[in-house]
Amino acid sequence: MPAPSQTASGGARVSLADAAFQVLLVLAAICTVGTLQFIAFHTPTEATMGIVQKIFYFHVPAAYSMYVGAAACFVGSAGFLYDSRRGWDALARAGAEVAVAMGVIVLVTGPLWAAKAWGVYWTWDPRLTTSMLSVLLYVAYVVLRLFTGDGDAERKFAAALGVLGAANLPIIHFSVQKWGGNHPKVITSGGGGLQHPDMKIGLLLGFVSFTLIAVVLLWWRMRIDLASSRLADLEQEALELGIGED
Amino acid sequence: MKMDLIVPRPAPTAAAGPSATAAPSPATTAAAEDRSTAFRPVQGGTEMQSGEKLLVEAYAAIWVILFVMVLLSWRRQRHLDDRMTTLAAAIDKARAAADVPADAAADKAGP
Repeated sequence: MPAPSQTASGGARVSLADAAFQVLLVLAAICTVGTLQFIAFHTPTEATMGIVQKIFYFHVPAAYSMYVGAAACFVGSAGFLYDSRRGWDALARAGAEVAVAMGVIVLVTGPLWAAKAWGVYWTWDPRLTTSMLSVLLYVAYVVLRLFTGDGDAERKFAAALGVLGAANLPIIHFSVQKWGGNHPKVITSGGGGLQHPDMKIGLLLGFVSFTLIAVVLLWWRMRIDLASSRLADLEQEALELGIGED
Repeated sequence: MKMDLIVPRPAPTAAAGPSATAAPSPATTAAAEDRSTAFRPVQGGTEMQSGEKLLVEAYAAIWVILFVMVLLSWRRQRHLDDRMTTLAAAIDKARAAADVPADAAADKAGP
């Protein structure tokens, strides 16, 4: 990013960060297409549930990516409450948006799978309920940031929500262990595991793909938020120079 | 649950076209009670859902959600870029205009 003391427009330089972002983007796209291909043509059909079980290879990584986004929101929020730097706030906001996107994927793919496996789309199982609660918390965060101002008080209030919202994450994780319900345990402790090597590879590829997608989205949303703050600086500078709108 | 199938059929008329003048099919000649049909659901809830269809719906949902997020981010990025370019050009222009009189005044003052 050019220094504000030079020309405001700066140059069209491609920085190292831009190049790294583009490499990551291409890598995420290749990995996702490869994962889709592997899951469609190599992972075996599950004996009891049939082909619908293949939802698993994206459902579980999406849930994990929701944790990644929520963790980023927590770190960014805590950092912002500590030293009020704009970068922390951008990380928190990006994390919440990624958590919402991934959480919605989990809440859509899960019931579609449940329709076949359980015969119903939804049941108030502890894990399902706590997951939905968590997604609603991050939706509240995103809505708060969209429809309130961008002042310091609003940012601090959102940061407090980002810190408190993370409290539900361990509850989601342990709900399946501690309470009854329908949600199966497969790869967590006490689960039966995946009984075929290609199933394990499929899940591993799903994790890699969704991690890359989550990191790309996080990075992109952070860049947008930081660009937004640079725009605010430019608007302030324009105001000082007496430049009106348009 | 038993549901009777009732298919209304229009009476053939002269304006009904070539199909109306074709030989009548056995269905049209059968008595109304002979055409009685019942729709019965498959027993068992899970059998009513096609696994293939649910899988395709799930994958489509994933792509739609990610696509919407990428599209919204791209639109926001483009709006910001446009606004920044316009504003930066205006600031450069204002600075240049402010510098010229200052330089001219410095030249006039001389050493």
